[in-house]
Amino acid sequence: MDLTQLLNGIALGSLLMILSSGLAMIYGLRGVTNFAHGALYMAGAYIAYSVAQQVSFWAALIAAPLVLAALGAVLELVFFRRLQHRNHIEVGLVTFGLAMIIERVIVIIWGERTLSVDAPPGLTGTTSVLGSDYPSYRLLVIGIALALAVGLVYWLRKSRVGLHIRAASHDVETSAILGINVDRVSLLVVCIGAALAGLAGTLAAPYVSVHPAMGVAILIQVLIVVVIGGAGSIGGAMLAGMALGILQTVGAIWAPSLSVLIPYAALVVVLLWRPQGLAGKRA
Amino acid sequence: MTDNLTGAPELTITPGGSDSQTRLGTIARHRHWLVGGGIIAVITLLGLAVPYLVSSKFNMGLVLDGVILAFLALSIGFLARHLGLISLGHTAFFGGAAYTVGIGIGRWSMTPTVAFVVAVVVGTLLALIMGVLVVRSTGMTFLMLTLALGQALYQFSTQRIAIPWTGAHDGLQIDLSGGTFLGLTQKSMMNAALFWPVAWVLLMVCALWLWITGRSRFGTVLEGIRENEERMRFSGFNTDLPRLIAFVVSGCVASIGGALFALNAAYVSPELLSFTKAGDALTAAIVGGLGVLAGPIFGAIVYVLAQSRFNTSGNLHLYTGIALVLVLMFLPGGILGSLEKWVRGRLSRRRQATPPSTSEPSSPEDQS
Amino acid sequence: MKCTRSTFIISALAVSGLLAACGSPQSAGDGNSADGEAVKVAVIPPSSGALAQFGQDAYAAWQFAADEVNAAGGIDGRKVEIIKMDTDATPATTLRAAREAVNQKDAKFIGGVMTSTEHGALNAQLEGLGALSFNGLGKDDALTGKDCNANAFRVVQSTTMDMNAVAEGLSKLPAATWDIQAVDYSTGHTSAKVFKAAADKGGKKMGIEQFAPLNTTDFGSYISKLKGSDADGLFAVEYGADGVAFVNQMAQFNLSKKYDTVLGFNMVSEPLFKALGDKIVGFNNNLGYDVNSDEPKNQEFVKAWAEKHDGARPYYVVADNYLSAQTLFEGVRKAGSADPEKVKEALNDLTFNSIAGEVTMRGADHQLIRPSYLGQVVKDDKGTAGLGWKILHKADGATIAGDPSPDCTL
Repeated sequence: MDLTQLLNGIALGSLLMILSSGLAMIYGLRGVTNFAHGALYMAGAYIAYSVAQQVSFWAALIAAPLVLAALGAVLELVFFRRLQHRNHIEVGLVTFGLAMIIERVIVIIWGERTLSVDAPPGLTGTTSVLGSDYPSYRLLVIGIALALAVGLVYWLRKSRVGLHIRAASHDVETSAILGINVDRVSLLVVCIGAALAGLAGTLAAPYVSVHPAMGVAILIQVLIVVVIGGAGSIGGAMLAGMALGILQTVGAIWAPSLSVLIPYAALVVVLLWRPQGLAGKRA
Repeated sequence: MTDNLTGAPELTITPGGSDSQTRLGTIARHRHWLVGGGIIAVITLLGLAVPYLVSSKFNMGLVLDGVILAFLALSIGFLARHLGLISLGHTAFFGGAAYTVGIGIGRWSMTPTVAFVVAVVVGTLLALIMGVLVVRSTGMTFLMLTLALGQALYQFSTQRIAIPWTGAHDGLQIDLSGGTFLGLTQKSMMNAALFWPVAWVLLMVCALWLWITGRSRFGTVLEGIRENEERMRFSGFNTDLPRLIAFVVSGCVASIGGALFALNAAYVSPELLSFTKAGDALTAAIVGGLGVLAGPIFGAIVYVLAQSRFNTSGNLHLYTGIALVLVLMFLPGGILGSLEKWVRGRLSRRRQATPPSTSEPSSPEDQS
Repeated sequence: MKCTRSTFIISALAVSGLLAACGSPQSAGDGNSADGEAVKVAVIPPSSGALAQFGQDAYAAWQFAADEVNAAGGIDGRKVEIIKMDTDATPATTLRAAREAVNQKDAKFIGGVMTSTEHGALNAQLEGLGALSFNGLGKDDALTGKDCNANAFRVVQSTTMDMNAVAEGLSKLPAATWDIQAVDYSTGHTSAKVFKAAADKGGKKMGIEQFAPLNTTDFGSYISKLKGSDADGLFAVEYGADGVAFVNQMAQFNLSKKYDTVLGFNMVSEPLFKALGDKIVGFNNNLGYDVNSDEPKNQEFVKAWAEKHDGARPYYVVADNYLSAQTLFEGVRKAGSADPEKVKEALNDLTFNSIAGEVTMRGADHQLIRPSYLGQVVKDDKGTAGLGWKILHKADGATIAGDPSPDCTL
């Protein structure tokens, strides 16, 4: 396998990593799988399309995550917080319903046609990486994702807010007793999670095509990543996302017609071998 | 926890009568069986009159579609009611059985009756395989896993290597001219009014089966697991096996629905296995009410009728999503569940009877 | 007691039901003779999903054809009435809509159905419904092969017809060595086979041949492989969202510079021009309809359509559905009746003059024999997103259609 193929895998893994870390953060804190995560990613891509048309791709890179963070706030305040004393599954199913609503609303706004977003000027061509030409835009995606992963982990480990998030993820009730404002922490986490989905959508827009089925397709993959990584573990989700991205790309070289099934096969293997996921705490 | 998915504890009751946990007296039990069985028998007979009451072919077709979807909703509801588990993977058994009918008739020249039986067996086996992989998980993980594994079958069915078997995205047309199903010829199978008695009676048999399973000692074990798995395990119960059995039973009911679908529609296509179909069935079950045996059946019929009404501008899934969110937020227990709660509230107020025992159900713990 | 009361209710219900529906329950809705009545056509295009835009255009074409013929006094006095139904392009919904249109709204003809899957499911039910279907969109070979039906007429070219046209035109393209990138699906493999046979005959050499699963959106690993080949031509069979992703990623990887000739099959078409942009200028692709054709009927059609649609010109979805409507109208005219059975008879081997020139509805498999083209994307101010087509080769309908499939018995 040559370098460009490895980079291809890392690029796909980067998208999965950004998406699944957001999903895992929300899950860790609220105990809820956000089934609307794919729809949020899709919203990010469509918003990026419009902003890139009107202003520029760089503006989209800022605007789309911000809009999505606002959407995340709505999600937290209207649904998660109001329903926090309900069964988690119910809340999960509410997000399932929200996913259907968001996806349709996007189609009503932007239409059904497949759209595409051009890579920003200066990044449309290729760059030489150790002697092989590789699309500059994909290098940007990889760079942003890796910087983000490092930053996120560092922030969670070292900052005060990060400590609160980790504490609340571990045990909500005890954290509340210890004086952590769980509502505020949760608002922050859901906003960040949604913004990450928006960022992934923006990065994906010039990378893959922007179309109405993109949300569902990626959601399944991300769910698999989160389960494999160990539900609720952010580090596990990141690693699993990157691993799956590389595995899938390599698989596409050796056995293209089976590469679609690789995530599912990986899921089954992990379930049989380690049912709690690679980094899961609980059986 | 003020509320769980299946509604308040008194809502986990089938239309037959009151809670099983508290009354184990044999006499009461026998009366239960009789009253419950009697009610199902009466409903079955009443239902047979439907083709005579619904005059238009089109509406008859809709009601039949609803009843076929009801198998899927019923099976999902069973798991939710007795184990608190929500499955998004039952499309695999429904669709798997439907495909087996197509493959059995198309490739192996089975008669429709044989194909039906084989399809139900295959669907049930799929449930066994998926069950082995998922029964150890609970709550949210179960939801994610069933969705992912169900989609695995969808992905597989649409690959080129599967074309000789499934036709991939083109699906399969089923040529039913070669035989009969329970005496129905090809034309009769495709005729909603004539196919109705078969589908309806089978649905009622499944409902009765699930009801009896739920009220039996096995059902009590399941409820014990739902309420507190660790306690059950400490009391010496193997909790995985009953879960697996319940999963397979429910998968079998979904398979029957899928096989009937294939015989009536004479085609199968990948959307039977899709994410959307899983969402449809679950929404139907939740809107009808997971806590009541008849809830998912009612929900499925309402769902199909509403679908034909509201599909005018392509916004079907927008409405589906809104319905799901609204019911979950404001009408936990679904339509029938809330109705039953209301009726019971009025009855108990009138009788001034003591309220039923309130054993607080703890939700499946899924927070890490 | 309770028991007796419920027994009474059941019997009462059952008896009254029996009386009400006296006879068999299936007798409802059987239409009487349609002669002299309006020609009712149910148009069932998708109104949601990835294909909704095509659906809208298909409906517009049918409505346009109906308005046109009605303005001229109808088909020998018979007015055409379009009944628009909705579907999400899944067979179940489409069938339900077809049943509703036929049983409730008395439609006898069906058009605008989009995918081959829907057509397959619909074909099985047509005889039971007593309706005829006019397929202007589903190209799958099986629809005039093993899944063919006496009540179904295909107006659009089959995949094989289109591919044969491309193969014929291959000699007009310069490249000497070809790579193949195709979708890992029946269309992809069949096209690749036909292409290789034609390339072999024309003395061309073959490079890499690879297949990507349907719904692939990241072509990185495939493109990386293509970069390693020394071919100067690329034959690509990727369509829909896959096609857009492939073309865009080709540009990002600088792949288009490597190939002198890119030949697509079903890859670039007017609906995608906006998403693909100038990147595809110079690409070659199969083309089902030539908007610039100088057939008098076509000239009239293009002019009338543009007048009604702010100067927009029709593309293949519009044209093929307009042609479907024309086929139905010709059948009704020849039969002198709007009775589906008579129209069916009249259409067998009917030859008529159309926007695609003189065409014939082949009786053996109900495939319309019409030309198909190989075109090149060029800049065109009048076209969609500033792009249009230059015709490189026009293939004769009878040649590319070959013999009817032996799997089809009507």
